[in-house]
Amino acid sequence: MSSMKRNKISRRAFALLGCSSVFALALTGCGVNGGQVEGSASADDAAAEETVELQIFAANSLEKAMPEVEALYTEATGVTFADTQYKGSGDLVEQMRGGAPVDILITASAGTMDDAVEGELVDESTRQDMFVNDLVIVRGGGSDVEINSLEDVANVEGNIAIGEPGAVPAGKYANQSLASVGLYTNADGEGGEYAPEIADKVSLADKVGTAAQYVSTGDCAIGFVYTSDVYRYDGIEVAYTCPDDSHKPIVYPGAVSATSKNAEVAADFLDFCMTDEDALAIWAEYGFELA
Amino acid sequence: MAERAVWRWGVARCVALALALACFLSLACAPAYTWADDASVETQEDSAVDERAGFGLNGFVRYNKGAQRAVDGTDLGYRFPVADGSTVVVVNMPESIWVHVDEDAAEAAGFRADDVSDVEALIVLIKQLDESSSRGGALLADEQKPWTVTTGGEVLEGSYRYVFRAQAGEGVYTSVQPAEVPQGSTPSQAAAVSGLDLGDGALWVDNAQLVAADEVATVAAPTWQDELASFFTDLDMRPFWVSLKTSAVALAVTFVLGLVAAWKTMGTSSRLKGLLDSVFTIPMVLPPTVCGFLLLLLFGQSTGVGRWLIDHGIALVFTWPAAVISAIVVSFPLMYRTALGAFEGLDAQMLDAARTLGWSEGRIFRRLMLPLAWPSIAAGTVLAFARAMGEFGCTLFFAGNYAGETQTIPIAIYFQWMSGNTDVALFWVIVVIAFSFLVILLINIYTARSQRYRARGLSRGERRAMAEMSDGAAQHADSLEEHGGDALRIDRAALAELLLGDDSPAGRGC
Repeated sequence: MSSMKRNKISRRAFALLGCSSVFALALTGCGVNGGQVEGSASADDAAAEETVELQIFAANSLEKAMPEVEALYTEATGVTFADTQYKGSGDLVEQMRGGAPVDILITASAGTMDDAVEGELVDESTRQDMFVNDLVIVRGGGSDVEINSLEDVANVEGNIAIGEPGAVPAGKYANQSLASVGLYTNADGEGGEYAPEIADKVSLADKVGTAAQYVSTGDCAIGFVYTSDVYRYDGIEVAYTCPDDSHKPIVYPGAVSATSKNAEVAADFLDFCMTDEDALAIWAEYGFELA
Repeated sequence: MAERAVWRWGVARCVALALALACFLSLACAPAYTWADDASVETQEDSAVDERAGFGLNGFVRYNKGAQRAVDGTDLGYRFPVADGSTVVVVNMPESIWVHVDEDAAEAAGFRADDVSDVEALIVLIKQLDESSSRGGALLADEQKPWTVTTGGEVLEGSYRYVFRAQAGEGVYTSVQPAEVPQGSTPSQAAAVSGLDLGDGALWVDNAQLVAADEVATVAAPTWQDELASFFTDLDMRPFWVSLKTSAVALAVTFVLGLVAAWKTMGTSSRLKGLLDSVFTIPMVLPPTVCGFLLLLLFGQSTGVGRWLIDHGIALVFTWPAAVISAIVVSFPLMYRTALGAFEGLDAQMLDAARTLGWSEGRIFRRLMLPLAWPSIAAGTVLAFARAMGEFGCTLFFAGNYAGETQTIPIAIYFQWMSGNTDVALFWVIVVIAFSFLVILLINIYTARSQRYRARGLSRGERRAMAEMSDGAAQHADSLEEHGGDALRIDRAALAELLLGDDSPAGRGC
């Protein structure tokens, strides 16, 4: 009797095991099939006009404007784009070092692009300065925080959102500005300490967008972001624009990856970004000034 | 029969609770949408109309920044694009705001630049549209500057000259130049010589088309159903499929590997077992980011091993298989540990008895260990699935965040929130809660069914019913432990029969 019962249970167990593996196989099968469909679709296109797919790594602040320019380019040329990665520029360079396939890298500081050049991750001959931006201090919409100079940052009640200087160029620029009034110890904007009056209020963000989001949700009273970030997040407004001489010039260099298999198309796209009238209108709308 | 009814009622209650939870959550996120009451016609997002003045604006666009780059070799100083077909150009200058209206368009729209009420109406329309396309930037409405409406081509103010519609290349631009440009020099050169920052000459520029009131673009005002529908059509459902696919494949692998590892570990000598056990369990103890980092080192380009693997065609970093591997690594220990615990809890003598009967080890595993340990294994499977489904740190490290490929629901929630799409993040949160609820519910139902043999005697509901009928004996039954209840109840019944006629039924301290 009991052995019969056992048999029954074990049979059920195996039926379940079988079902789960069939299910899993079916799912992987779906994935493979999906891939094949995509593959054949792109093969068809390739027959028509040699379609390529570009993988772009772009500074986080480009997250809203870049997809619109990509859509424009796809419409004009048929070149498609893989899911573009928008992260802190330092993260992007690390990710490239880690072996991620990339065609184009656009960072938010000359320093991070220098790292990429040193690591032979990009083709230096294609490097060009694409945009310039301003560093601003933002506050939540309707907040009564008043900032009339960088020194006022020390008197702000509430937390201060700053990008993590190692990975987020905006954070590095912010620290340079703070260093200009003695609120940060290292004038390079990295590797220093915050002055005691703000040290326990600084909340470091992994992307400049995260810093903007902290302010937008009210978790931080003020944050250091780019002018262009004000146009892509709701609920934040400019409280103060950091003087240009308080930090290094903010430029966005772009370059074609050294390992790109579509280097020519990638270079064409960079050129399109800088010259096409409709693309320029999109940059202008999102507050990116051409360098 | 009654038992089944009660069980069904319990399930119904659970489902109702789940629905209530989902409703509550979706209501909580409702403010993200605007709830339009009437299905009337309204102007398009980038249009506005003043019916009384008889004109309106179409295709409003705001350029927050320009560029100081020559257009096809022509230096325009600092220039903003003028949108195709735009007939109104608004320039926010340091000291004043100038509105340039194209003469022909003004005439066609019935707008007169010398009519105060027309000018005021136009300014109101511009302020309104400037606000709706400001994306959180400063507003024209907040500026305390004088407004001037002109049909002239250029204006001098301070040290700047503004040309509203400068032709260059194939486009039209609004150009900011130094007031004085010496002969033979270009605006940018002149500005560089005098140290003037042309970019400071215009804070931002608005463009629009001036049209008669009946030409203003309109759309049917979207109802909340439309908005909901558009939310769902715009929604990227891929994270759900990626999550499901990743965790299902990971679970299939983990299930087999975990069971085999537990089985094999059990049979090894104690010293080796300790080592194996630590190696198999450590991903559970380590932070997932550490696992991700180690995997990245192992398969990435930064180490010799990784480069060797990549040279041999195994490039896994930032691909879907990497997401599966991450999920397997973090979910494996849960499967392994629960299975090992269950196997070790089995009666060793029984397994030996099977061996004396000539059963092979494989047969013992399949026919004896697996069925006996099944409830624990099922629990371990659920835990492993949940862990694989919720995996975040290791996946992000090793597989990155590629939409449609490695972007699972947890990663989608984080990145959608970070990029300001709170409603999408909230949607995924609700999906995860509903899905988890469903899984737990199914498991409970399954466990209840497969372990029904354990529920000897009466169910709680029936006992309560009995207590209501005769609150004597049943009351005591309530105070008893559930296991062994049968035996005690029989004793109790016998006792009651024996002591029939006595006022107080025995039972105290039985």
